[in-house]
Amino acid sequence: MNEPMVVIRFDGNGRVYLPGDILSGEYRLESFTFGQIRAVEISVLWFTEGKGDEDMAVHEFQRLSADDGDWIDPSRPGRFSVVLPNSPLSYDGALLKIRWCVRVRVFPRKGKQVVGQRVFTLGMNYCSASAG
Amino acid sequence: MSRTFRIYEKKRGDRRTGSGAIAGLGEAVFFGLFFLIGCVGLVAILAALIIPQWRANNEFVETTCVVRAKTLAETRGDDGLLYRPEITIEYRVDGMPRQSTGYDICGTYSNDRDAQLAALDQFDVGGQYRCWYDPLDPEKVALVRGYSAWTWLLLIVPGSFLLIGGVGFVYRAWHWGKSAERRSATGASPIRLRPGHAEANGRSAFPAIPSPGDITNSPGTTLQFRLPTRRSDATRLVLVVGVCLCWNAVAAVLVVDVVHRFVSGKPNWLETAVVAPLALAGLGLIYASFRQLLIATGIGPTLLEISDHPLHPSGKYEVFLSQAGRLRFKSIKLSLVATEEVRYRQGTDTRTESRCVCQKSLFQRDHFEINSHEPLEARCDLELPPETMHSFKSANNSLEWSLVVDGKVAGWPDYQRAFPVVIYPGKPEEAAR
Repeated sequence: MNEPMVVIRFDGNGRVYLPGDILSGEYRLESFTFGQIRAVEISVLWFTEGKGDEDMAVHEFQRLSADDGDWIDPSRPGRFSVVLPNSPLSYDGALLKIRWCVRVRVFPRKGKQVVGQRVFTLGMNYCSASAG
Repeated sequence: MSRTFRIYEKKRGDRRTGSGAIAGLGEAVFFGLFFLIGCVGLVAILAALIIPQWRANNEFVETTCVVRAKTLAETRGDDGLLYRPEITIEYRVDGMPRQSTGYDICGTYSNDRDAQLAALDQFDVGGQYRCWYDPLDPEKVALVRGYSAWTWLLLIVPGSFLLIGGVGFVYRAWHWGKSAERRSATGASPIRLRPGHAEANGRSAFPAIPSPGDITNSPGTTLQFRLPTRRSDATRLVLVVGVCLCWNAVAAVLVVDVVHRFVSGKPNWLETAVVAPLALAGLGLIYASFRQLLIATGIGPTLLEISDHPLHPSGKYEVFLSQAGRLRFKSIKLSLVATEEVRYRQGTDTRTESRCVCQKSLFQRDHFEINSHEPLEARCDLELPPETMHSFKSANNSLEWSLVVDGKVAGWPDYQRAFPVVIYPGKPEEAAR
């Protein structure tokens, strides 16, 4: 039996978006069985990488909980759609990087959480060399 | 193999290699124990001190008694002998004679012998006094009543345990089983990342970009806005002088001791080796203080004004620079500078590192003089390339833009004054819409 995993796909296979664009796509919960999942969280967020401690903020968050009566069917892909904000834009700096991603976190009834994440670029992926 | 046994190991900041669940449970147990200790302490103080005092004040029955004997009782405490008055009295309960010994209801001892003797001297053997007995247990008597202030002060100890333990436990319990995303989304996270100006609905139109409010609240005389400095020379001077005084006060005591040993013919070379670098650092701080004093008092104010703010990529702006004073400049330079600043924890230390990632020269003039009547006044253009990254600020990371004036003055220390600006993403016309 395969390891449970989350596959995320963006519509149009796009990876670069501008502020105000609609980011949409779907996620598939693979190798999960019906009733095995307690909750699924879908987040569109940014986080920092680099030398500093990680900061993150969620732009859009949705939680589906089987215990609260939400229908979670792993055989059918879930969809997401969100209008992207004005900032912060993706950035590749010397000490600091800003990344955007869609993250899907699955809480099975038994066992460890399964997390799938797909990074995208908001803006033109600025880097420190082009900071000015 | 070592990975198997790595239960809770801290790497850097909040990143951990061990089990988050076990770490959370450990913290919950830790704070729970704190709370429990606070509860036990509170109950003990209530039972031993506060409730007996309240009962003596409100429920005890008043009567008269005759003092039959008195003595100053002693007991040995951690810090030596402790004392309290012990007075044997006779009194009547429902017509029946009784004899008991006591003074205050708590029976607390004190190390202040004179005060306890003075309290004892207020009662004479054979004299008649008011007393109060417990109707539930008439053997319990009090010759004085009231509340002592230190009893209430004592509540600070269990109160602190209750507060720290309670808040920590509730915080941990609230976060139990919640993902970082959920905590961030519901605002229950310690990560506070919305420093931008908030809209009415609570979400910023430009998240993670600092508000330009502090920069645009000062109108200019030549251009629209006068920019504030990041830290004024006076503030820097106060800081440097403060550190210098504290450091040198400690260093002076040590140096005096070292010198004293040398003078008395018993030099301590190890102490000398330790104190010498401290004293040198103190001299360095004195030099830095004088240098800062010269910059703050000798070099006149630098004013910078800008035609518009906040800035946007592809935007064109005018900058006005004014430098006052009576100085002979080797050079003065105005640049647009981007600095990344990050903060990270290593163990119990929090460190900050910054790096200049972009510097664009806007104006430079070499070898000239200014006097008090004719300050340097210069205008220059600032055009931001379309690929300029916007300002960014989160809890531990930031990208800050500033206009920086670097001055080299003959006979004076070099100086640098920075004026932060905020760059927003998008073109100016988009922002206007």
